[in-house]
Amino acid sequence: MQVHQFHPTVSYGDAIGDQIQSLQHLLRRMGHRSEIFCEQLPIHFQGRVQQIAQYARCSSPANVLLLHFSLGYSPKVMAWLKSVPDRKVLVYHNITPHAYFSGVNDVYLEAAQAGREQLDQLAALTQAGWGDSTFNCQELAERGWTRLGVLPIIFDPRRYAVRPDRQVLKRWQGGVNVLFVGRVSPNKRFEDLILAFHYLKRVRPDARLLLVGSARGMEPYLEFLQGLAKRLRLSDVVFTGHVSTEQLAAYYRCASVYLSMSEHEGFGVPLLESMYFGVPIVAYKASAVPETLGGGGMLVTRKDYASVAELIGLLLEDRNWQARIVARQRERLRDFLPQRVEERLRDLLHSLEA
Amino acid sequence: MNESWLEVSDENVNVEEIMRQIRERVARRSGATLPDEENPEAAAEALWKEMIGNGEGGLTPGQHVPIRQRDCDIVPRYYVIDWRIPILGPIHAVVRRIINAEIRRYLFPSLEKQSRFNRQALRAMASLSQENARLRQKIEELERASSGPL
Repeated sequence: MQVHQFHPTVSYGDAIGDQIQSLQHLLRRMGHRSEIFCEQLPIHFQGRVQQIAQYARCSSPANVLLLHFSLGYSPKVMAWLKSVPDRKVLVYHNITPHAYFSGVNDVYLEAAQAGREQLDQLAALTQAGWGDSTFNCQELAERGWTRLGVLPIIFDPRRYAVRPDRQVLKRWQGGVNVLFVGRVSPNKRFEDLILAFHYLKRVRPDARLLLVGSARGMEPYLEFLQGLAKRLRLSDVVFTGHVSTEQLAAYYRCASVYLSMSEHEGFGVPLLESMYFGVPIVAYKASAVPETLGGGGMLVTRKDYASVAELIGLLLEDRNWQARIVARQRERLRDFLPQRVEERLRDLLHSLEA
Repeated sequence: MNESWLEVSDENVNVEEIMRQIRERVARRSGATLPDEENPEAAAEALWKEMIGNGEGGLTPGQHVPIRQRDCDIVPRYYVIDWRIPILGPIHAVVRRIINAEIRRYLFPSLEKQSRFNRQALRAMASLSQENARLRQKIEELERASSGPL
């Protein structure tokens, strides 16, 4: 059986791009012919990614075509999908609710709205819907999918087998570093991180808040966050912007605790990265976060910033507690290693045959 | 305040005891707060309203204005440069992408500015249209009250 994949574009370093490449590797290992097709062909992926125009050569009703969906397809892609006879499966990575972008980025707001409208059309075009998490599958079920399955994000440790950036280590190693990794976006509630950090400074005056992730397209939100930090007289809030894998590894190595206040995550790859780098996690219980943690880390169900700060303070005082949390997180991480996900993928493909 | 807001899946951890310690520490530290210190949550909310808006700045559905929100955006976001010819195609595409990138560099800021203006104009029109409908309704009510056209 041929199992191909489609996404409008593929790039290194983003969760979906990495997932597509990891899936291709697994599918080929399982003996399937598997190619990646894109609308906009990235120059640096030449030879490994093909254009959708070339799909006609391998298209067949016996094939499975995995459609990765995260923001919305162009009208050209929607028309193409209607003409393809292959068995199509929507792989849903979730769309951030558009209301979060109100006043921040109208383009994202419209794209998120349009993406959700397309979901209804895609329900009729696809045989099954797979989500990164049960949380994602629930939304598909609400939109009419009946054949559902969870295909988690594959965590490939080889991707992080890099030498951590020396400059980052030199600058931030030592002291108390509270870390959050993710695109600067309102759904991730960076303001809640800053508020919790404000209270943490009373508990641990030496603490720093390291916020790693690009703010491209979210400039008004970034300005608000920087303004908030200034208003609360917090000089130790650091926005790094986009970082390389080496720099990312260094930030994790410097981190004392990973704090997430995010309200909407379809999966949460940085949670797995924290598990891998042995950073204890404290996270707000929302969307797919508790599912991804799967018993690892600590969950708070209320945004009581002073209490969250005290919780972090207590955790930092107790090395044994930190070690137990980290051990449990490492245990959980195994569920996302390629071997485990391969079994899941095999079952899902088998269910399509049935 | 006594309800559990902390979840830890570790039987060796006494969640109740941790929460008790946290409550004690929070109470102790809140007494040390300076009286003139600004409430951080209130400061965040005020700054959000000042810099981002209260959500009403979002797009108003074109109920009274027959223009779709997405038509306000004139930036060609779905422009794709691809190729079909095997050897010359990729070279041709690279050249086109370089030219496209250069054009985007100076053209896109203007197009983004125009798109923002279009959205603001749509919002203003929708707002005026709603105000118009409200006034019309008021006139009709007054006409009914005076039993005839004013």
